[in-house]
Amino acid sequence: MNELDASKFHEIGRSVLRKEDFRLLTGKGRFGDDFNMLGQAWTVMVRSPHPHARIVRIDTKQARAMAGVLAVFTGTDCLADGLRPIPHNPVPSTKYDMKLTGPGGNKVFVGSHMLLPADKARYVGEAVAMVVAETREQAEDAADAVRVEYEVLPWLERSEDALAAGAAAVWDEAPDNVLVDTFFGDQERTDRAFATADHVVRMEFHIGRIMPLPLEPRAGLAHYDEHTGRYTLHFSTGGPGIVRQKRQFAAALNIAPEQLRLVAYDTGGNFGAKNRPYVEHGLALWASRKLGRPIKYRATRHESMLTEYQGRDLRTKVELALRSDGRFLAMRAENIMNVGAHGVSLSPLAKGSGLITGSYDIPAARLRSRAVFTNTTPNNVMRSSGRPEVTFAIERLIDTAATELGFDRIELRRKNLIRPDQMPYTNAVGSIYDSGTYEANMELCMRIADWGGFESRRRQAAARGKLLGLGFANYVESSTGSPKERAEITVTPQGRVEVVIGTQPSGQGHETSFAQVVADLLAVPLDSVDIITGDTDIVKEGGGSHSGRSMRHAAAVISMAASDLIAKGKMVAAVVLGTMPDEVEFQDGRFGAKRANRTFDFLELAKEAAARAPAYTPANALAVAKDNEMHTSVYPNGCGVCEVELDPETGRVHLTRYAAVDDVGRCINPMTVDGQTHGSIAHGVGEALCEQICLDPSSGRPLTESFMEYGMPSSTTMPFFTTEIVEVLSPTNPLGIKSGSEGATAGAPAVVMSGILDALKDFGIRDIAMPATPLTVWQAIENAKAKLRSRETTMPPARTTMIEGVGKGE
Amino acid sequence: MARVTITVNGKPETREIRPRTLLVEFLRDHLGLTGTHVGCDTTQCGCCIVLVDGRSVNSCTMLAVQANGASITTIEGLAEGDKLHAMQAAFREHHALQCGFCTPGMVMSALELVDRNKSPSDDDIRYWLLGNMCRCTGYHNIIKAIKAGAEAMARAG
Repeated sequence: MNELDASKFHEIGRSVLRKEDFRLLTGKGRFGDDFNMLGQAWTVMVRSPHPHARIVRIDTKQARAMAGVLAVFTGTDCLADGLRPIPHNPVPSTKYDMKLTGPGGNKVFVGSHMLLPADKARYVGEAVAMVVAETREQAEDAADAVRVEYEVLPWLERSEDALAAGAAAVWDEAPDNVLVDTFFGDQERTDRAFATADHVVRMEFHIGRIMPLPLEPRAGLAHYDEHTGRYTLHFSTGGPGIVRQKRQFAAALNIAPEQLRLVAYDTGGNFGAKNRPYVEHGLALWASRKLGRPIKYRATRHESMLTEYQGRDLRTKVELALRSDGRFLAMRAENIMNVGAHGVSLSPLAKGSGLITGSYDIPAARLRSRAVFTNTTPNNVMRSSGRPEVTFAIERLIDTAATELGFDRIELRRKNLIRPDQMPYTNAVGSIYDSGTYEANMELCMRIADWGGFESRRRQAAARGKLLGLGFANYVESSTGSPKERAEITVTPQGRVEVVIGTQPSGQGHETSFAQVVADLLAVPLDSVDIITGDTDIVKEGGGSHSGRSMRHAAAVISMAASDLIAKGKMVAAVVLGTMPDEVEFQDGRFGAKRANRTFDFLELAKEAAARAPAYTPANALAVAKDNEMHTSVYPNGCGVCEVELDPETGRVHLTRYAAVDDVGRCINPMTVDGQTHGSIAHGVGEALCEQICLDPSSGRPLTESFMEYGMPSSTTMPFFTTEIVEVLSPTNPLGIKSGSEGATAGAPAVVMSGILDALKDFGIRDIAMPATPLTVWQAIENAKAKLRSRETTMPPARTTMIEGVGKGE
Repeated sequence: MARVTITVNGKPETREIRPRTLLVEFLRDHLGLTGTHVGCDTTQCGCCIVLVDGRSVNSCTMLAVQANGASITTIEGLAEGDKLHAMQAAFREHHALQCGFCTPGMVMSALELVDRNKSPSDDDIRYWLLGNMCRCTGYHNIIKAIKAGAEAMARAG
């Protein structure tokens, strides 16, 4: 499909400074909290302090009598008004997604996410009532005065709690708490391979629950216009695109989608947190109609940390069968995702299921994928959803196999990596990897990381009493996402190229990178291109920025629209030049014909055509709209090398070097792709070193409620990064794009933990649970020392190739 | 109600406000200067940093009445028309912003650092920024931008 002539590209592939930056640097951004209307009231939520409790009674009398209070609404009011659950549609459904089902192949039950529940609170922080008042302070005070009588119920935190016999049921409709139970791969073939294998390595991991944590808390301004009967919400979003959210909010409010307008411009980070609708926005819209007032909501940081959709939380048991020469023969995995109280998205489980064999040629695999409900905040996609978890499992498994069986960890990988001549490669669970040069990536990354110089750096660190570790991991990830995208391109007589596109950024710089594509495909100046998004009265279709889909989907539909626009241009030029359309040629950005002595570029043509208005009709105006539906996945891939300096006295880990190589397919803007890689690494580093959601075991209440308790990576957590972009063009889309935003996150936790375990190898420590906080590391060292001391008095254990039950990660 | 006069970006602003009004609320809600952001409410993220008499302050943790009589610079007060301040220009040049939400606080914080230390090292910048969080960039380009911004400011005298 790569029929575009890349030699003609001037803007694509260039590090163009961003069009967005002037407004963002001068305080002119328009974020969710930046909208206000005269006469607006504020809403504040009353939230459950219990992880699981029946709502017996809500007494709003005292609150309603307080100064400035306009109303207090509960779940009963929502039901009385005919509101409906948010249709989350969590099961990924493009043609190539792994097909998750409920137990026994049944439909997946996902719970019922009403804007306010009338029956039970299912996690700490779930809104059970809303207060509306003249000011935010009045609403806060009144929320404190709402009396909720709860019947506290037994609650579940972890997947294994949910699966335990006799466990409480989060949903009556799913008495065993299981919403997904699906098998993938060939059991017979896998069993056969394991039966004949020379070695089997087993490990078990818990990749813990963390937060996407964009710095902008969710906020919005809802307004109902009684004269038009339309609702408008100004807020910030990004992940799903506003078109999808419009349909979801309309369904929850039980109104026609045409009655709702969503407007979202700048978004202060997303990383998955804003990928699904939030009840507060729906409630503000609903209350705005009931009260005839604009209503504003802004989450506090505390509320964000309690109730923003979270990420990860996968339990995985993995087994790898190897031949004596190190060749991988088969793999088995059992994955369990803890979805929390609502089935909001199963994308992490599905994505991970398709990638359990990682970057390696493993002929057979068998996988059981399950998802369970617990009484925790709903779990959703978070940057690189599902891929860091399974990448961690296979990469850690390979490191352990290398250590235990006496292979060099790089050579063991080299022997098993999928080769370029095997592409497109169908893995043992059916995922079709489109392209990639995995071994070359590995070589490049080791080179830019100065792998060879590690030993001398290790000795230098040792002289200072520090342990230096060298980490490595490969990754392959899948970029899928919502299949539909639409572009409308208009060349105006005023010399602008207006591009309306459905997908939406949250900091990725679409206004610049999309404009680069348009500029090259239409041969117009970059500065003439305006990318228009963010208002459902303008944007009709589009999928949003998730699963690394935006650049690829946008470029695909833009290139189709550009072809149509060139055809239109030939018609218009024919009128202007007084010739037949089939005699007009578009060459080097100009329309011309053999017998005509004038030529026009797009901007000149639009101006000329407008000047000849009588011959210029809507039918041949320089405007096109194109819809595209693209299901095929692409598989960005790469690797990372890090060095960690570990203080054995305190357990503190200092990340001193990090190098990454990422195959993003065609790179539109290297500057922004490198920026994405940096942030992507940081997310994975945070997960490995410091991020963790902790609940009080007695009450189920989160202890990580502010930046004081949650380990957000700071400016001193990471070194400068060394990164290289690899461009192996994907054969699946016109420009050969893969994705450049989530890959490094997929690899980074495995890279960092590999480095830490390398630093600790002399202690015989095979695994450490994430996050590797100083306490965790120090404890592991102390335990290992105690074990070594006790071994000095006993016989050394026989060498075994069965490695059981390490790293259960609590 | 309390009457305050605060000079914001060179212009004296007098308002009658409720005494519990935070400085950030005064800027955002009373003056419409929404470039100063609220990311945490608790003085940890740095999105709300402004200069109060030249010192960087988390405006979410200062009452507006405490700033009575002070001179405040916000992100809106740096550029001259289309010409970005050297520090803003360095952020753009080095791609030190993605979503842009932490950016105003980063820039304002960097200005006090440069005021104290004309040529900060990478480590000086990293430690100075412990009160400014960014989730997008991994800090890499922010460190580079502040260093370049400091150099540009030194060159300009």
